[in-house]
Amino acid sequence: MNVAHVDDLDRIELDDGFVWRPIRRRFGIRAFGVNAYTPREAGGQVIEEHDESRLGHEEIYLVLRGRARFTIDGNEHELGPGQLVFLRDPSLKRGAVALDAETVVLALGGKPGVAHEPSAWEGMFAAVPYAREERWDEAIRMHEEALVEHPEHPALLYNLACMEARGGRNLDALLHLKRAAELEPRWAEYAAKDSDFAAIRSEPGFPA
Amino acid sequence: MSKGYEVLSLDDLGAYPRPQKDGPLLMPLRLRLGVQAFGANCWTAPVGSLVVPRHEEDSGHEELYVIVRGRATFTVGEQTFDAPAGTLVHVEAGVLREAVAEEPDTVVLVAGGTPGKAFEAFGWESVQVAFAEGVAGRVEEGRTALNEAIAGRPGHWSNAYNLACYESRFGDLDAAFAQLREALATAPPEEIGGYLEGDDDLARMRDDPRWAEVTG
Repeated sequence: MNVAHVDDLDRIELDDGFVWRPIRRRFGIRAFGVNAYTPREAGGQVIEEHDESRLGHEEIYLVLRGRARFTIDGNEHELGPGQLVFLRDPSLKRGAVALDAETVVLALGGKPGVAHEPSAWEGMFAAVPYAREERWDEAIRMHEEALVEHPEHPALLYNLACMEARGGRNLDALLHLKRAAELEPRWAEYAAKDSDFAAIRSEPGFPA
Repeated sequence: MSKGYEVLSLDDLGAYPRPQKDGPLLMPLRLRLGVQAFGANCWTAPVGSLVVPRHEEDSGHEELYVIVRGRATFTVGEQTFDAPAGTLVHVEAGVLREAVAEEPDTVVLVAGGTPGKAFEAFGWESVQVAFAEGVAGRVEEGRTALNEAIAGRPGHWSNAYNLACYESRFGDLDAAFAQLREALATAPPEEIGGYLEGDDDLARMRDDPRWAEVTG
């Protein structure tokens, strides 16, 4: 049965300090985006600072438990249980810090007027625990699954190439990195300095 | 505050009963915020009453129920289970589900949409809000809610039909017949036909000589 308590969701700690608690992936939801977020500790980030310009999503952030201080478009709002912020403008910068270690924020999102597509970042986030443990096969699999729905997503291709390079799949890494750089040249600039590509930087065809 | 975002407490949404039916009270989140990308509403109910009515979601929506506060007993398909605050329940379209509130002030958030399709707001929230306003004697507020629903989905007969029902119950018959004419001009006969004879909201209109002319 598709039932879970927020405390029983997977905990995926991300480098920016917040903890992703995947809901959409857990249940296989296709019609809209939905996830929960918790902090590592009181005072820690619970919603990463970002905007939704690329995806065009409108978003609801609802505090289910604890308290969080949101910064929206430069304005601060302290919200407790049952309080929410709705962002209809995707370009607005948003983020939140948890004021309580037990804080849980539910996030709902989607783009008006179009059928929802699961976001590519979910695959990259899901790969983080595996990459942290250098379990490259699993990390690559997370990216490949996301790539099925987003075959031309530059950041996804780039991150997949990182995992492949670290995992010794040099040819695959070169192919995916090359494609990412073709789609967005800035990825070639990143690759030039990225330690993940140390093993393949001298290979012929490495984007310069 | 900029127009690009809004801060809100669920307690500010109000709670509206369903027209002519017992059941949970709607806390119209999507309507209040103007969410366009997905369905999102809250429901509340007294202890021992349905906070999620028994239904299968024939709209094709998959739904996620989030117990925001309180506690509920859910039945999904053949299984019944306890759902304290923080519980998430995902139900596909076509599966029978219901939930009973077990604690005071239980609030359930429901998010929904049809996989593979852009979300479309049909205006049912406006109908529920409007009729609750009408029953409470705030006729103009209810009329405004339905007119906003018509403006939000122009050309679709159901909102004009609902405004005809509303005017028949709470307003004046001239306006009711004007809206019914509007609805009949665009409604497929097989969709609206059943409502014309069976809808109690139209009872006052059926006694009027214009009824035969408009519906004949």
